[in-house]
Amino acid sequence: MSKVIIVKTKNIYNVHRDINTEKLTTLYQRGFYWLTGFKDSKNSIPALFNTAKKIGIKINTIAGKNISTRPKVSLSLADLLIKGGFQQKDIIIWDRTNRELKDAGYRLNMSQKGIKIFGTDSNPIGYNKNLTIHRSIGSRFSYIQTNTISQSISLAILKDHGLAGITAGMKNYYGSIHNPNKYHDFNCNPFVADLFDTAPIRKKHKLTVIDALTVQFHKGPAYHSRWAEDYGALIMSTDPVAADYIGWQTIETLRKEHGLPSLKQEEREPKYIKTAEQLGLGCADLTHINLIKEEI
Amino acid sequence: MKRRNFLKFSAALGITPKKRLIPLTSDLYAFTSDSNLSKVEARYYKKLSHREVECLLCPRFCKLGDKERGYCGVRENMGGTYYTLVYGKACAVHVDPIEKKPLFHFLPKTMALSIATAGCNVNCKFCQNWEISQVRPEQITHIDLPPESVVKTAQKNNCPSIAYTYSEPMIFFEYMYDTSLEARKKGIKNVVITGAHVNPEPFTDLLEVVDGVKIDLKAFNQDFYTNYVRGELQPVLDAIVAASQSQVWLEIVYLVIPTLNDKTSEIREMCRWIMKEIGPEVPLHFSRFYPSYLMKNLPPTPISTLEKLRNTALEEGLHYVYIGNIPAHEAENTYCPNCGKIIVKRMGYLIEQINIEKGRCVFCGHKIPGLWS
Repeated sequence: MSKVIIVKTKNIYNVHRDINTEKLTTLYQRGFYWLTGFKDSKNSIPALFNTAKKIGIKINTIAGKNISTRPKVSLSLADLLIKGGFQQKDIIIWDRTNRELKDAGYRLNMSQKGIKIFGTDSNPIGYNKNLTIHRSIGSRFSYIQTNTISQSISLAILKDHGLAGITAGMKNYYGSIHNPNKYHDFNCNPFVADLFDTAPIRKKHKLTVIDALTVQFHKGPAYHSRWAEDYGALIMSTDPVAADYIGWQTIETLRKEHGLPSLKQEEREPKYIKTAEQLGLGCADLTHINLIKEEI
Repeated sequence: MKRRNFLKFSAALGITPKKRLIPLTSDLYAFTSDSNLSKVEARYYKKLSHREVECLLCPRFCKLGDKERGYCGVRENMGGTYYTLVYGKACAVHVDPIEKKPLFHFLPKTMALSIATAGCNVNCKFCQNWEISQVRPEQITHIDLPPESVVKTAQKNNCPSIAYTYSEPMIFFEYMYDTSLEARKKGIKNVVITGAHVNPEPFTDLLEVVDGVKIDLKAFNQDFYTNYVRGELQPVLDAIVAASQSQVWLEIVYLVIPTLNDKTSEIREMCRWIMKEIGPEVPLHFSRFYPSYLMKNLPPTPISTLEKLRNTALEEGLHYVYIGNIPAHEAENTYCPNCGKIIVKRMGYLIEQINIEKGRCVFCGHKIPGLWS
């Protein structure tokens, strides 16, 4: 049975909209506890990852400062990885471009020391020359995904998406290929699932963390304050499909609370989640998901 | 094209990149700086509420939120205004024989300055130029080449025409349109090599400023367009008819892919449509497919298939039916439909003889459609 954790807290932001780091760390720790049974990072992190190998944290910074993975969210996760046995130099926080990373508040670091933060467009990173062809996908992968890292965390923002329905953990990997614009037809179905099923992602993906501290539940993926809710949660799972399924249900709940039609009614239900289940990538059936909710 | 060759070629054409380009390693495609992309407001779009826009350039009608790009990858919504990122950003610049386009009835034996930017609004699985058409502009080397510089480069290289080609020129519409206007002022002609997956309004506007159009008709059924092109057939047919009704010279190319779009019955249907909508005088080229991009599992088109399809087209009454991508094939030549003699003898891109004077066959005086001088 797949396990999905929702750890939630109130007042994650202070009046200046700064994230309370202490609370955030607690959310992560509780999430890891529920996933592994270990309360401290020294045990929980090695239970999920090989701490001797490089790990990538794929974040989502496409939509600017207001609705991107904030630096505190990824760096807090990186801190726990370090406490769990990773060396700083083996952690890479990354996305498509340095411009988007900087716009989201990141300070780039490509040096040997410290946690690395850079985009695929950093010289001389780039994309692989050869195409990876799999099912409906024909793309060049970021060299970071194929060569630099051995294991991957998708640390995605939870957003409504005008074309895909929602964007969460699996669709976050659109940022690892050179031609994501070619995969938005038919509500991104089957493209999101097919992309996740490619070897560079499926074999390396270890954990989905969906940042639902603020959820854009309508008119995404751009930021619109009117339809953004400070939800104060992280959704964590080793099952990428189950994590996205719960993310989707979270968006539907928020939409209902705000009197909005469901995504199905708007004809943009994220069908790719079911497709991913059919490909054997995980579970999209609530009756087979062990959903653990904790309010802190 | 490798960066070194691109720069060498650019230098030979008298073009110098204004900015130093990022060195590329041998097996990776690095970016050029995205700050070097253009930010010119796009034409043909509609502003919607909540900073959304709807692109009206092509039949995809991409509806985009803030910071999103269209399917083409080269037009972006920035805060509710839609911009082209490739205006004046040429990623390929060559001097080609016009026959390479192919345009066989348009200024034969002349050279065309041929330019492209990154991007395309379809995703043909058999694309021959996918390394520029299926990437975003920041993912390949490009140079600053504004419209005036394109025209000067054409003049410098004695090119009587400029060809917008290689990728899909409709996605760099603004650049192509402005360059065409500039070229006309200097007496240089403009030709567009396109899949014509475009909406009627922009296409009609374009026809006002260009002189020749070669349209790739990729199949004559929607299923093929859905599965292998990711586009719509009807807009392409509409564009063919629109071009044929304009003053612009039109030729049609049909890439024949074994087992996928090579049925004689379909070709016959297509030729009947051409005869009905346009008439017998539009040149039709059947091109040989070679494995490429996402379609490497099929062999090159058998020559016999191309010959059979050509015969079908001739049977249906088309006058000028060619076979392409097979140098020295007799169907590269133009034959007078009246006396049957060779009036343009070709060997690949070389022209060995032209037996046309003042637009007429020198042997029998039959009028041959096209722009011959």
